[in-house]
Amino acid sequence: MGTTAVIGTAKGGFILRSDDRRTWSVEGPLFKGWKLTTTSRTPAGTYLAATASDVYGTAVHRSRDLAEWEQVETGPAWPAAAEGGGNGEARKLKQIWTFGHGGNRTYAGVDDAGLFASDDDGVSWTPVDGLNEHSTRSGWFPGAGGLCAHAVLVDPADPKRLWCGISAVGVFRSDDGGASWTPKNEGIPIVIEDKSCKDIGRCVHGMVADPKDANTIYRREHVGVFRTRDGGEHWERIEHGLPSWFGFPIVMDVPTNTLFLAPLESDEYRMPVDGRLSVYRSRDGGDSWEDASAGLPAEHAYVGVLRGAMAADQDGGVYLGTTGGQVYVSSDGADSWQTLPVTLPRVLSVEVYPS
Amino acid sequence: MPRVDVELPSVLTGLLGVPRVVPVEASCLADALRELSELHPTIDVHLFDETGGFREHVLCFHNETNTRWLDGTDVALADGDRITIMQAVSGG
Repeated sequence: MGTTAVIGTAKGGFILRSDDRRTWSVEGPLFKGWKLTTTSRTPAGTYLAATASDVYGTAVHRSRDLAEWEQVETGPAWPAAAEGGGNGEARKLKQIWTFGHGGNRTYAGVDDAGLFASDDDGVSWTPVDGLNEHSTRSGWFPGAGGLCAHAVLVDPADPKRLWCGISAVGVFRSDDGGASWTPKNEGIPIVIEDKSCKDIGRCVHGMVADPKDANTIYRREHVGVFRTRDGGEHWERIEHGLPSWFGFPIVMDVPTNTLFLAPLESDEYRMPVDGRLSVYRSRDGGDSWEDASAGLPAEHAYVGVLRGAMAADQDGGVYLGTTGGQVYVSSDGADSWQTLPVTLPRVLSVEVYPS
Repeated sequence: MPRVDVELPSVLTGLLGVPRVVPVEASCLADALRELSELHPTIDVHLFDETGGFREHVLCFHNETNTRWLDGTDVALADGDRITIMQAVSGG
């Protein structure tokens, strides 16, 4: 199986290709000088890329081949003077964090927090007002990474059921295609308490759902690792065996029901525990975790693993990028890890496209 | 109508596939920027923020004058003038 991994960094994108997941070629940089914050492939096979710059703003680009890209003209955009959140500042589009797909619709989660939808394969985007203008918005406050909608999950069996994770607000669910949304955070400790609304104020870091049963969702949170089996109505801790519950991405190899995450030491430090870059995996739906770090730096490693910097290719391949620009690949479900011969800018996103 | 050049930063032209220097015909700065937008619509989002003004760290010079210090963009242009877009740089 051929594999293409797109590594989004703070200074552009890099494409890694392999036929055997052992020997890799490297192409790039794409979007040289720009943050490549996320990429995705739509159900129609179009690649989407989100670029951002502290100077020149953010935009969506489309490609059929990862080589020729065209920026869309009607990308996600906030109206002037829209309410940003609890800080009272006007809303600005700072970054596109993620793309999600359901049916023929594609979603983009953005900072300042909100959701946009495209029904034409990413050519044009419209705001999802049911979430963006939610009644709790005045109680939305940013986390360290901004006020960002960074996770969008869609039930493959019913694309009208959606979940959106917003930092530092929490998870919202819609059962009507995005028209209305309800916070789903019961069981998750509050980190930023709102005066009146106690359903928000959570700091979700990352989410992955089991596509075979979308009601089962795994969630990394500022204060732990959690699971729901009822679509978010209730959440329970799943941290047995982890050296630390702090960290950002969580990914799943669906065919083997295996979860992977990279623990970091607490929100104060945000670096590998004891200088050992590690990946932990769970083969029992999060009930227990085991170390799966053979081949990763075992000492003197003080890089971070950001929210989007981990991926699974659904054939046992797991991919990890770091804030130090290293990229690690496992082709055997994290039994062993290979260091790729690259030193990239800070890795923001990793996406894998089997071919 | 005066013919002027709009010079763009490479980080933008590389992203959008537009020339580094875009000749336009315009009688004032506002019209020149409008003409630039019509020729290359995808550039707007990179130059202007939600308020419609230049982004905080985008600079626009009319010849040697930083337009930020002008009252507006209703500035008369002359044949051969140069409008330069660049990013504000501070620190090291």
